[in-house]
Formats: sequence, structure tokens, C-alpha cells
Amino acid sequence: MKFFIKCTAPVVGLLGLGLAGCQPDIDAPKVSAGSADFSSYIAIGNSLTAGYSDGGLYREGQLNSYPNILSQQFAQVGGGSFVQPLFTEAQSNGSGYLKLTGFTATGSPVTANVTTSLALRGGTAAAPLYTKFTDPINNLGVPGIRMSDILTPGYGSVAGNPYFERITLDTTPLQTYLQRVQATVASLKPTFFTEWLGNNDVLGYATAGGAASSLTPVATFTTNTGLVLDALVAGGAKGVVSTIPDVTGIPFFTTVGPSFKATLVANSVPGVVALTGAAAGNAASGNRKSIATADIRDASGGRQLFTLTSSAFLGLLGRPTGAPWRYLLAQANQPRAALGPYLTSFGIDTTQAFGATVGNPIPSAFVLDDVEQGLVASATASFNSALTTAATSRNLAIFDANAFFRNVAANGYVANAANNTAGYLSGNLFGLDGVHPTPRGYAVVANEILKVINAKYGSSFQGVNANLYRGVVFP
Amino acid sequence: MGGTLLASVSAASASGFQVNLGGQKNIGMGGVGVGLSLDQAAMFYNPGALAMVRDNGVQVGVNAALARSSFRGDNTGIQQSLDNKLVVPFNFYAGFGPKDAKYKFGVAVYTPYGSTLKYADGWEGRYALTEITLQSVYVQPTASYAITPTLSVGAGLMILAYGSVNLQKDLPLPTGPGHITLDGKTKTQFGYNAGIFFKPSDKLSVGISYRSKIDATVDNGSVTYSGLPATGSASAALINRSFTATSFTATLPLPAVASIGIGVMPNEQLTIGLDASLTFWSAYRTLDFGFSGNNGNGTTDGLVGGNNFSTSKRFYQDALAFRLGGQYKVDDKLTVRLGTAYDFSAVKDGYVGPETPDADRVQATAGLSYLVTEHFGVDASFLFEAFRQRTQTQGQLLDNGTTDRVAGTYRTDIFIPGVGLHYKF
Repeated sequence: MKFFIKCTAPVVGLLGLGLAGCQPDIDAPKVSAGSADFSSYIAIGNSLTAGYSDGGLYREGQLNSYPNILSQQFAQVGGGSFVQPLFTEAQSNGSGYLKLTGFTATGSPVTANVTTSLALRGGTAAAPLYTKFTDPINNLGVPGIRMSDILTPGYGSVAGNPYFERITLDTTPLQTYLQRVQATVASLKPTFFTEWLGNNDVLGYATAGGAASSLTPVATFTTNTGLVLDALVAGGAKGVVSTIPDVTGIPFFTTVGPSFKATLVANSVPGVVALTGAAAGNAASGNRKSIATADIRDASGGRQLFTLTSSAFLGLLGRPTGAPWRYLLAQANQPRAALGPYLTSFGIDTTQAFGATVGNPIPSAFVLDDVEQGLVASATASFNSALTTAATSRNLAIFDANAFFRNVAANGYVANAANNTAGYLSGNLFGLDGVHPTPRGYAVVANEILKVINAKYGSSFQGVNANLYRGVVFP
Repeated sequence: MGGTLLASVSAASASGFQVNLGGQKNIGMGGVGVGLSLDQAAMFYNPGALAMVRDNGVQVGVNAALARSSFRGDNTGIQQSLDNKLVVPFNFYAGFGPKDAKYKFGVAVYTPYGSTLKYADGWEGRYALTEITLQSVYVQPTASYAITPTLSVGAGLMILAYGSVNLQKDLPLPTGPGHITLDGKTKTQFGYNAGIFFKPSDKLSVGISYRSKIDATVDNGSVTYSGLPATGSASAALINRSFTATSFTATLPLPAVASIGIGVMPNEQLTIGLDASLTFWSAYRTLDFGFSGNNGNGTTDGLVGGNNFSTSKRFYQDALAFRLGGQYKVDDKLTVRLGTAYDFSAVKDGYVGPETPDADRVQATAGLSYLVTEHFGVDASFLFEAFRQRTQTQGQLLDNGTTDRVAGTYRTDIFIPGVGLHYKF
């Protein structure tokens, strides 16, 4: 009634000329903490927690990490400062990353490595050392770390993980990740945490097409999960534990296969030959695998997945070439001289038709085949079961990232009338490496975690407008 | 210029984008009129009552609709205010008949549907809508005949003489936001408006009326873009080939309305009207656009975002409205009016979109007439309408497959001062 009088009186008098200030107000939603305390928040995890994107860790990605977005929401209910090991403005490109520079005539993306304003302080191209950040930090996300790494002494040494090395104090050079978490809990006394470890315990094996790395034993994963969560709840903190997404739904595996399949079908090629697994041996050793064209996964079906890294070489199908092998050797930081013995050990003859013969098969590293997928799926399920059990027994909230990203892969994700998908480049959610989210993807993750927090702790956080966070920006 | 003069109100004073501003006297009385024979505006409210209107006359009314809308997003929670647009719905009537004849003829011009909304720059729903203008002007030749001294009937030929639509939204391009504008004029279409009026005594009258549906069809509207990557830039070929359309077709139903009204005249001074009306909004099921033409951006014709059509769910529901109003003749020169109305929303939960942020609405109205001479008078009206605050969650949008709009809370108030002139003879 007050409103009516306030706003209509001038209307009657001035026929509306005095109305400019009379916008109806919608009460602001109340943001409350519920039963949790967000005054001191720490984030534990890997590249996803660090804000890694486009194949690198750089300042923009760090600023848009999901923990940083969460901390901005927590600040509305008394959340304190949230320190991340940010690269400086002058070294804002951090480790370097992939940048989209254009497209080929056929619409394929052209990327380049960003090599300016890096945060390098030494080391080699294969084992770089980054500018140290030794202030106390709330975001302990370390790109590359596996659950199986958290007890490894020296993981933060110059011979270890450069991202952990970067934040490891000179006074405790051999400190393990778990010890760092324990020390942080003791000093920052967190009241709330997020934990998202374990992705690399399957991802490394999967992105290597089963040709390198390994899947962490379930027993190790389960033990370490218990250790890290015990460390986190030691001071009575509440928190969210995230599960591990199905890695076969990410663009790294879903982008190349469908177009390759279409090319094979168009040229009436019935199938290709690939290596499988990591074991050396010639064609008679049983490590060759015939893949029928129809068995390559696309929207219509099929099982076999091709990696994003294979896209540059699949065009060489049927031609004599050693290029894929030279590329993989360089990726593994092996000298050129190692090529001959390597090829011999696998019985590979680069004068034969690539991908069409057992003599020159598609490298195992380019294919995550059905058998390898089965191992990845089984490990993922076991790890998620361990995470869920450990979180439930400690009465923690669970963000089921596996279910969430499975749904995104199947149905996309619409926010404020803008479509997002799990597709490469134009899907907005995944960056140029095909594995890590874009700022948009991280914003969506943050929104989902906020929903989980609201449900578990009776808090009432709003999300952020995901559309204000970029996807892959085209030049 | 034509925009402002011909524009209809911002979805004012009825459900959906219907506009119930048929006559200045009626507006002051909560919009009643079906069961009354006040003046020439009977041609709009109930053509059957025209033969019972005592005088011949010409009248015109103009309203200044000032909508004040706010939006608060489901996420972010920042309140956005819509731009304050002024639109000017109008009505014009001329009715004639020989003195003491049983019949009367007339012509009516009015604006039964329309909407004008412009959202704040960069608002959360920018990829659903940034701006909309819908206009319609009906011209209606009308005839009415008194079968007996207590019973009359009437009908009018409704001509959608002018209609236009202008829809704009931003495009979420990977190079940054672009913008698309759809703009078109409707084809001339026809419908009818018919009514029966029964006045058994000096103290009571009853009326029913029906206005038919008219489909407003745009056949060759224009599609224009801005903010697409510049020709020659790295992404131009890849993106622009999905935006080749130059024209569109679309059909928007302007739904039928059935009304019943009662008039009670306890004495010479007092007239009370009560109306109930049902607008058949369920005719509005989907908003479909078909695209065609080629602006040279690519080899495939008629694409907007890679598709040559778009469809968006509406599934409106028939909407009831109840109106109550009265007028009191203070003396030979001055008459004063009051009224109220309640409109139920045409839009179901989960379907509210920024183009029609509809909700149940309550109205309060007031008005007066002053006779300057025996023949010439001035009518003034004021209408205040409050939409009930309405919230729609992302969950509701997902459940209904309506994620092409934005989750959040809308609230709208509308102020409509109006003035009219009438001349009787």
C-alpha cells in the first residue's frame, strides 16, 4: 500500500512524468550458510582444482578455477580470503598453454603454444621449473597429481611434479602432498573444504591410449582417500568430495573418431590396424588389433575411441610413414636415436602402409580400445565407490561429477538460454586440450557444487551466471 | 514515429499480450462493458449493445502505458530493470443511426493485442530476448439491430489492418555476442466480433460477446544480424555460414475472446458492471519461425544458427478474467468511476518467457467524464495494474523442455493514464 501511494500520487498529478524512479523491487534472495561454516575454505585436488585449462596452468585459468568461484560465493556468508598460488601479471601465461589461432580451409582448428610471459625459472623443456609461490595458500590444486602420489616423499622436489615443487617450501623440500595438507589444516584451520583427487589415477592411462602410465591399484586408492579425508576433517571441517568423471565422455576421446569414421566410410575402407596395450612385440605377439570401421564410436554406435592427438596423423592412413612414431618419441622426451630400437622392438616397418598393415599399425597411444575402456571404467567405478564410501562415513557432501558430466555428454547443459555441450571447441565447456574445462566449464562445476552444498548443509547459495565466463574464444 | 503512435500497450491490462483498453469510460470501470451500453465503445466490448446506445457519436481515446518491470536471475540474483518504454494504445469509434431507428452502424479502430519490452543491456536472458515490439490495429465496421425494445444483436467485421513484430536477441557466438533482429509486417486478415444484448428493465442489462481468433502471419519479414565476425577474419567462414537467412515467416495467434457481462442500474445516478471473459490462449502452442534467403554468408540458404527453422514451446492456457466497476453521475456534467479486475495468467509455470513475463494480475482503476457542452465531453481514466511476482526455476525449464528462456523472477507494474474526447449528436 505504501508503494501504491508513493508511486501513484505523482502519476495522478503529472500524468506519469514523475515516474522514472518507480521500478518494482524484487526482494533479493537471502544467502545463508546453513549448518556449515565457510569462514576458512581450502581446496584439495589436481589440475581441475588448480584451474588448469587449454593444456596449461595460467593466470586466467587460476582466476576462474572452481574453488575461486566458490570462495567468491562463500564470501557472502563470511568466507575469508582465499589465496591461490597465482602467477603474477608479468608472468601471467604461467606454464604456457594452447591458443586457437585460426582454422584450416576445411574448418580444422589451428593451435599454437603461448610462449611469452611464462613463469619459468629454470629446468628443461621436458622438466621445467616454475616461479615459486611460497605464501600460505588455500588452493592446493596440483596439476598432474594422482591419489597414489600423496605419500611420495620428494614429489615436490625438482625431480618431482613442477607444480607441487612450485608451492613446496624450501624448508621442507621432501614434504609429501598429504603432509602439506596436514600442515595447511593445522595452520589455516579450515572450516570447509572441497576435495577432488583421483582423476589422474585413470586419466593418465586413458589419454595415453593404454600405452603408458597405469591405473592405480584400488587398494592404494582407497587407503589414500581415507588418509587425505582424515587429514581434512581432523579439525572438524565440513566439505564436499567429488567423484571422478567418465573420461571417455570428454572431447579428447570423442572428437576425432566420428570424422575419421566418416572418412573411412566415404572411401569404403572396411577397417584399420592398431597397436594395443604397452607391451613390446612384433605382429606375431598378439599386440595388433584390427578395428572394423563400424566399430569406431560415433553417434550411431561403435566402441573404439581415437585420441585428439591422433588427428594430425590419421590423414596419413595407407601411406608409408614414420611420422607418428617420431612424434610419440618426442612426446616421451626420448632422443631421436631411440627410434630405431623402438620400432624394432615392436616389429614396425615404416615403409609399409600406415594403419592398413600389421607392419605399420596405428600407435596404441592414439586408440583407447574397448578392452582398455573396460579397465578404465572398472577402475573409475571402484575409485568412485571408494570416494563415496569414505565421504559418506565421514558425513561429507558428495558432488557426483561422474553423473553430472555423463548427463552433460548425453544432453548438453543449457544456462540462461545458451547451449553448452561436451563437444570440442564449440561446446564451450572444454578447452583446447579436450580434457580440462574452460572458465565456463569451471563456472558450471562451481554451480553444481553449490547445489550439493545447499542440499547437504541447508545453505542457500546462488550460482553464478555461467554465460559471463568464456568458452573457447575464436579469433 | 509510427512505432510510438500505433504501438500497443506493454501486455497491459489483460492476460498474455492482450490489451483490454477499448474505451476510456470502460477503462475507468475496471474494463467492464459487455453487459453495458455506455457509448460507442460497445462496438469493441459487445457489438450487440450498439443499437441500444442512445446517441450517435464520435469518440477517441489515447492511453499512455508506462510499464515498470524488474527481473532477478535464478543465478546471480542481480536485479535488472527493464527500459522504461512508453507505448500509446488508442481507440476510435464513430456510430450512426437514424433517430429512433432499430439499427445502428459504426466503425471502430482499436489495438487488442500488443507488447513492447526492452531488457537491460547484457541481462541474463540476452540469448533468449533483448527486445520485442508487437503491434496490432483492428478496424471493425459494425452493425447492430434491436430485434425488440429489450433485445439487440450486433456484429462487426474485424480487419487486422496493421500488425507488426520486431524481435531481437543476442547470439552466443564463440567470437563474442552477436545480435539478430527479426522484423516484419503482418498480412491483412479478417475475423468477426459478435454480441447479444438484453435489457429487460431500466435496472438490469445482460450481454454476451465473442471476438474470433485472427492469425497474425508475417510472410516475408527481414532477418538482419550484427556482431558476426568480420569478413576475412579467422573465424568468419566457420561461423557466418550458419547465418545466411534474410527472411522469415511466422504466425502468431491473436486468440478469440468470449465474454459475458451484467449491468445493474439501481437508480438514475449509479451504474455497476460485472464482466467475466475467457481468452482462448490455448490456441498459442508453439512459436515457429521458418527461415529462407541467402545473404552470401554461406552456401546453404536460410540458416539461423545452422537451422532453417526454429520452434519454441508456448502451450498457453485459456485465461479467465473478472472485472467489476461502476460509475456515479454526480451532476449533469460530472460522472466519476471506479473499478477493479483480476486476470489469470495465460502462461503456465515453466513456460514464462521474457517476451511475455505474464502472471496473474490485479487492477485498480478510476475515471471521470466531464461534459463541457451538451454534445461534447472529456473522459479521463487511470489504470494501475500489478503483476503478481512470478518465479521460474531452471528445474521447471528443464522439466518442460523450455530452456530457450531464462530462469528467474519477474515483477511488473503498469500505470496507464488515458484521456478521451467524445462528441454526441
